[in-house]
Amino acid sequence: MLTVWLGICTGAVYTLVAVGFNMVFVASGTFNFAQPQYLVVGTFIAYTAVFTWGLSPWIALPAGLVIGAVSGIAQERLAIRPVAAKGINAELVTMVGWATAMEGIVLLIWGENPLAVNGVASNSVLMVFGTRVTVAEIVIVAFTLAVALGLHFWSHRSLLGIACLATSEDRDSAMLRGINVKLLGVGAFAVAGGVLALAGPIAGPITFAVYSFGNTVVLYAFLAMAIGGFGHNIGAVVGGISLGIFQSEISLYLGDKWVDILTFVLLLVVLLARPQGLFGQRRERVI
Amino acid sequence: MRTLAIARQLPSWLWPLIAGLALVAGPWIGLNAVWTRQLTLIAIYTILVASLNLTFGYAGLFSLGQVAMYALGAYVTAILMVHGWPIIPSLVAAMFAAGVLGVITGLPGLRLAGWGLGMTSFFLVILTPDIAQVFQSQTGGLFGLAIFGNALSAKGVYLACAISMVVVLGLLRNLVSSSFGNSLRVLRQSPVLATSLGLNVHGLKLKSFILSSIPAGLAGGLYVILDHYVSPDSFDLTLGVLFIAASVLGGTESIYGAFFGVAVIQFLTWRVTAFQQYSLVAYGLFLVLGGVLFSRGIAGIARDFGNRITRKAIVVPDRLAPRLTTPDAIAPIPGQLLQLTEVTKDFQGNRAVDDVSLTAGPGQVTGLVGPNGSGKTTLLNLISGLYQPTAGDIVLGEQRLRGVAPHRVARGGVARTFQTPIIPAGMTCLEVVASAGYANDAPGILATMLRLPACGRANRSRRTSALETMRLVGIEHLAEQPASGLPLGSRRRVEVARALAGQPRLVLLDEPASGLDEGEVDDLALVIRRVADAGGTVILVEHNFRMVCEVSDRIYVLESGRLLAQGTPDEIQRDEAVAASYLGQLPDAEEIIPHPNPVGSE
Repeated sequence: MLTVWLGICTGAVYTLVAVGFNMVFVASGTFNFAQPQYLVVGTFIAYTAVFTWGLSPWIALPAGLVIGAVSGIAQERLAIRPVAAKGINAELVTMVGWATAMEGIVLLIWGENPLAVNGVASNSVLMVFGTRVTVAEIVIVAFTLAVALGLHFWSHRSLLGIACLATSEDRDSAMLRGINVKLLGVGAFAVAGGVLALAGPIAGPITFAVYSFGNTVVLYAFLAMAIGGFGHNIGAVVGGISLGIFQSEISLYLGDKWVDILTFVLLLVVLLARPQGLFGQRRERVI
Repeated sequence: MRTLAIARQLPSWLWPLIAGLALVAGPWIGLNAVWTRQLTLIAIYTILVASLNLTFGYAGLFSLGQVAMYALGAYVTAILMVHGWPIIPSLVAAMFAAGVLGVITGLPGLRLAGWGLGMTSFFLVILTPDIAQVFQSQTGGLFGLAIFGNALSAKGVYLACAISMVVVLGLLRNLVSSSFGNSLRVLRQSPVLATSLGLNVHGLKLKSFILSSIPAGLAGGLYVILDHYVSPDSFDLTLGVLFIAASVLGGTESIYGAFFGVAVIQFLTWRVTAFQQYSLVAYGLFLVLGGVLFSRGIAGIARDFGNRITRKAIVVPDRLAPRLTTPDAIAPIPGQLLQLTEVTKDFQGNRAVDDVSLTAGPGQVTGLVGPNGSGKTTLLNLISGLYQPTAGDIVLGEQRLRGVAPHRVARGGVARTFQTPIIPAGMTCLEVVASAGYANDAPGILATMLRLPACGRANRSRRTSALETMRLVGIEHLAEQPASGLPLGSRRRVEVARALAGQPRLVLLDEPASGLDEGEVDDLALVIRRVADAGGTVILVEHNFRMVCEVSDRIYVLESGRLLAQGTPDEIQRDEAVAASYLGQLPDAEEIIPHPNPVGSE
């Protein structure tokens, strides 16, 4: 039972990153490889606020929001939009570049040792259904569910959300219908960056602050998104949580060294057998 | 400047070869030990990056798995040498193992592109420590594996690495400057185009994965010979990012550029102490700046410089294609009869083509008109095998096309053009037109890499027939121009020439006249007529109704996927249903466009 709960908690982190992927993917059609780095930055901001400056972890929420949003805008304007016309490979290069640069900057400022983060929720232990659960864990799961579900309903109910969906469906027609797709694109980068950096003090107690955290989480969150279907937020919850439990059980029964190997196998199976994911629709190729 | 210009007249392989040999001789002409060590590392990394460029730069496949092949090569070499194998067999085994891993990782890559492929290959790299732990008894797990004895001197190691690098670069250079390299460029530009030229997209991808893995395995082996030690720490994602950064810096679409990209980064790491600390930031910035500002890297800058010296600058005159005047005698085109019987195509409940029967005979132009969305292009896609019909049958000559893979349909002699011309970047017009022949007469990989006579023969015959087709279409003077930069009219002609160059049994033209001026449309009409008169079977989808009436022998009118009318141009122009649905009104008697039009006989 405890492994399942721990799996749900790690899965919530994957889900959060996957939802960030979805925001950018739906609004601008790009996969933001650098997305997990924003969460990493958020956790370090939380660390600095509490341990270096002796402030309340709550300060880290707005600080993360602003820093993440500004970095997101910078990323879109400096690294993504200039290569938009050059095809996907140019974008892949600048995406990896931006992620690497962010990782490098974090490494320069905070060093390579993992740091513990005191988040907004306490680490006091509760017993729920006979399982030891911390308040911080409940908060990260609840926060993730709230963000994912909120985004899901927002994108299907609000005008702006529907505009995003329309853009992801057909960029040119959306533009002709008067949707400002460029603004949507940069907005999505800003919101996704802001939300993930804001989540730093919420996810920090589970993830710790580790500069290289993004290297593996980008893969797990990508898989979570692939399982659920690209752009689908309920799918991201299902994909992220089930991946978290999957890894947690493997770690318990087979040992840590099998976690990545079997996760890789799962990624191949999903991408090859059901590339559209659980909730996605298959589109026929068109010239 | 003049001496430089003369220097460029020499064969293009001469200077790199001289530079390579000088590099190999380095330690004997005054290179000290420290530099020798650095150059050894540069040689190893250059092998890796140059082979990465084959998949990444030329084929456009974003595969980061190079580090995994490198790791496998290193482990195989180390384990075999621990078991007492000599160096050379160990290296051969390492290359073989990397090639096998290339196949295994290439298989998912067949169906994936872009990020799907990027992420799976990325994943492969982070698996290295886990796999090393699973095979702990052999690999030493996280502690690594050291090799004792069997050591070469530092100069010996350098010699092995430098010679390997020169050989690998030479072979790769031969490969990319051949029909195989151009096929990869076609694939990068558009898998649909590659398929419609009869190239087997899966086969091409797999070949390029294997060909880029083998040198990576060799590089891994050389690394072990240099360091006598291997551990999972040596193969992390940072190394993968370093390779991509070196590739982008040197120019992804380049083989020699790899050396310079690697050299710059290696030199910075070595000489600038602070670079160690800032390396991640620096790699990141290289990638962002490289992607945004100089996407062609050092090699691109060098090429531009070279072109400036020899004044091979690209001149684009106002009108690239002169009017066609005298029809040449042209070689017969072996057109065949195409028959569509009751063809239907559904897209998830949306019936795009509904029960269409159509016949197109050799020596004839069959026009296909109709409003936007009436299913014309879908019909072409069904014929070329890109879509499979929901019902009905498609037969060309004796061969049923239904159920045949699109590249096989193309190899069977179905050539086409696209609504928006698809012209791969980085190729001359002649190469683009000649690419029509790649599917049927490409020599083997080994023959290409070693430049065997068969390779040259195939090249020459392809070149001759491409030039002949270009003359027919009136673009032979553009042969050496870069094709993707030409104006639309010329690009359309290049596409038509490409469609004709492969001796097609059926030619599908998808709106070839859109965006052309009147003179260009007349020229195009003349070319189409010539093709039909030479025996070709031509299907022409076109909105320019005047042109369709001028060149077509028979016209089919589609509306909402259904056949609305068929007949001679004259009948179609007088058809009331066609007028109501497509033309708007019936033309007056004197407005009827006569056929056949005496274009070119003026």
